[in-house]
Amino acid sequence: MTTTRRNLLKFVGGGAAGALLTPAPWRLITDTALWSENWPGIPRPGHGEIRARFTHCTLCPAGCAVRARCVNGQPVSLAGVKPHPISHGALCPWGIAGHHLPYHPARVRQGPVKEALAAVARAISQRGAGERVAVLDLRPGRTVSWTYRRAMAAIDNGLYLAPRQPDYSIDLNAARTVVSFGAPLFDGWGTPGNVFAARANFRLVQIEPVETRTAALADVWLPIRPGTETTMAAALAGETTIAEAARVTGVDEQAIGAVKEAIASGPAVVLAADPASPLMSLNAKLHAVGHTVVARRESPLPEAWKKAAPATEMAAAPDRAIRVLLIDESLPGGYVPWQEIQPKLAANAVVVVFSSSSEGYGRHAQCVLPAPVYPEAAEDVGPAIDTVAAVFRIAAPLVAPVVPVVNPGELVARIAGLPQTDPLRERADAIHKAGCGTLLSYADGKSTPLKAVTADDFWKTLNQGGCWMDDSGKKAAPGKLEFPAAGAQPHDDLPLTVVAAEPRHSGLESPLMSKLERESNLRMTANALAISPADARSNGIENGGRCVLETACGRLIVVATIDPGVPAGVVEVAGGPRMADLCGASQRARVVRA
Amino acid sequence: MIGGKIAFASGMLLALAGGWLAFPRILYQTRLQPVNFSHKIHAEKAGAKCEDCHSFREDGTYAGIPTLDKCSGCHAAAMGATAEEKNFIDQYVTPNREPQWLSYARQPENVYFSHISHVKLGHVKCEQCHGNEGGTGALRPYQQDPISGYSRDIWGRPVAPVGLRTEGGMKMDDCVDCHRRQGLEYSCLGCHK
Repeated sequence: MTTTRRNLLKFVGGGAAGALLTPAPWRLITDTALWSENWPGIPRPGHGEIRARFTHCTLCPAGCAVRARCVNGQPVSLAGVKPHPISHGALCPWGIAGHHLPYHPARVRQGPVKEALAAVARAISQRGAGERVAVLDLRPGRTVSWTYRRAMAAIDNGLYLAPRQPDYSIDLNAARTVVSFGAPLFDGWGTPGNVFAARANFRLVQIEPVETRTAALADVWLPIRPGTETTMAAALAGETTIAEAARVTGVDEQAIGAVKEAIASGPAVVLAADPASPLMSLNAKLHAVGHTVVARRESPLPEAWKKAAPATEMAAAPDRAIRVLLIDESLPGGYVPWQEIQPKLAANAVVVVFSSSSEGYGRHAQCVLPAPVYPEAAEDVGPAIDTVAAVFRIAAPLVAPVVPVVNPGELVARIAGLPQTDPLRERADAIHKAGCGTLLSYADGKSTPLKAVTADDFWKTLNQGGCWMDDSGKKAAPGKLEFPAAGAQPHDDLPLTVVAAEPRHSGLESPLMSKLERESNLRMTANALAISPADARSNGIENGGRCVLETACGRLIVVATIDPGVPAGVVEVAGGPRMADLCGASQRARVVRA
Repeated sequence: MIGGKIAFASGMLLALAGGWLAFPRILYQTRLQPVNFSHKIHAEKAGAKCEDCHSFREDGTYAGIPTLDKCSGCHAAAMGATAEEKNFIDQYVTPNREPQWLSYARQPENVYFSHISHVKLGHVKCEQCHGNEGGTGALRPYQQDPISGYSRDIWGRPVAPVGLRTEGGMKMDDCVDCHRRQGLEYSCLGCHK
């Protein structure tokens, strides 16, 4: 046999055919697939000692107690703490995946700290008479909030800005009927474990235009005509006739009558999607105040902190007066639409944001400084809206920050020239000095009167997994539940009512949660909306097509879903800061084809 | 024409031989264990049982390969006259240096396996998965797939019957087979968290 080019090719061809009949290529394919999943950038928990550590979740104001399974000091899974009297061992899906957040690919990893400090110092020294230095705290009620307030009191013309905080708590355990005007009771409202623990004892009447997750799980869902909630409230309070309410709201007369009877038959509470909604005043008319709606209780404060700046709402701040605005967006919380902030800023204002994401206020600020994320920072969590007792709990860090971060509280204190102390320890000492309440230790589930614990042991237990609670004393009535109504908005060119599909502004969320929820259409992706088939038809919008969402605050190109579950006249919008900027200050919208 | 067929067949035969005989041998990197440990001597002479060294912690988690503390409990000084024991004491016990054992059974990060639920609740014997490790006179070499980074004992279908143990199994197929035989749940999320 001679070696020819043809024979050589046949030899190679035979070799290739033979190779396919061996396991080698198939095995190399699977091995290479595995190798490609093990890039060096993927965090790998080390092998080592397995320990349980305790902390509190700071991803929402509920502050659920968390038991972290740590391998070699690294948290690998999170679960609830069963003996906890408020969270009852429950964690929501965000909380369960919270330990992924430090490694989020979209996290802000660096920021111009020195430049930001220099710009702030320069702006403070050069500001004109009447120009203000302000901190916007999106999660008021924490100990660091008091640092901000003290800092603003120490600066001339300092202003502490925060979204309106209700001064009441809801005692779900005392209610037999809960009438909810769109409050997402089973989808992020209050403390999930507490809500579900109380669920067996109350009947839920959900009043909202769209069948949300809460509406689907309610005992009664009243699909109300959008924008007619005030008339329904008036009927329940006996201020208008049931027949008139039925005509205006589109809800059956008998259904309204049944709700009215249920309210009259026993302790009831009225909830609204916005805790500062005028609908909350219905509680006073139903004699719920002092029973199911009680005064919010704060844990004791150090005496020196009481000389602090008062909380001011953004709307009450003077126009074009804020020269320096520091925004603490480090934790998911409220969101003040940029359209409300912008008119308050001076022409040459310096805006600095502490955040883990550049998607929020970072879009409008000169500097975004990387802030720690849960569970990297030592924080405390104030009482949630459904927490009747005074509580103090610390979210002890489970991991060291994985990127260089700045501590917003420390930085603001430094700017204001406050002495560098540990405010959490000071507050713990003040609570210990007051001597009331009990300390619950999560490791052994034991509750000990605070008087029997030393200050050091109290601090140690708070950091290693514990919670201080004081539910002694009589329930007090909160201040007046009267909140101003939003001004009526013109309807002419904005025919649709905006309904938020997302219960809250969640900030960064675990990529695993995005994969499970958003890509599986369990929740809307950012910049998306749902619209009724009738409205879609009249506006020429296709399912999955791009369209323009317009409100009085601007316009945004979004992806539309045609959903028969959305009633005509309503547009359901996703969450996220862009949507909050667009729809936060405007409840009316129109959708047109892009 | 005939020459062409011979060339094709030669190429094919060479590839078949390479794929079935040579590939399994060159696929794995072989590394020796740091200490020539004999399970057999410990079981027969010292009367040790598996759980004496491979124990569960108080919280139910599995301790796995024992640390040096456990070994030092008996081997602070030589108990016999073997060179292996003397070497172990000189190199590890005396300088208090932890031996870097190579675990045949280390599962990937995305696999969750609970020893206690299998051993205490399922009454599975150690040998069923690990083979007769406890009866061996010396630790076999550790073989690792350099591409995936996994131990030969836990990953990949048998490429060829070369150097493979026939008993036991800690691969996904072994887990699924056992669960299927016993009518137990074997969905993906049972193990892959």
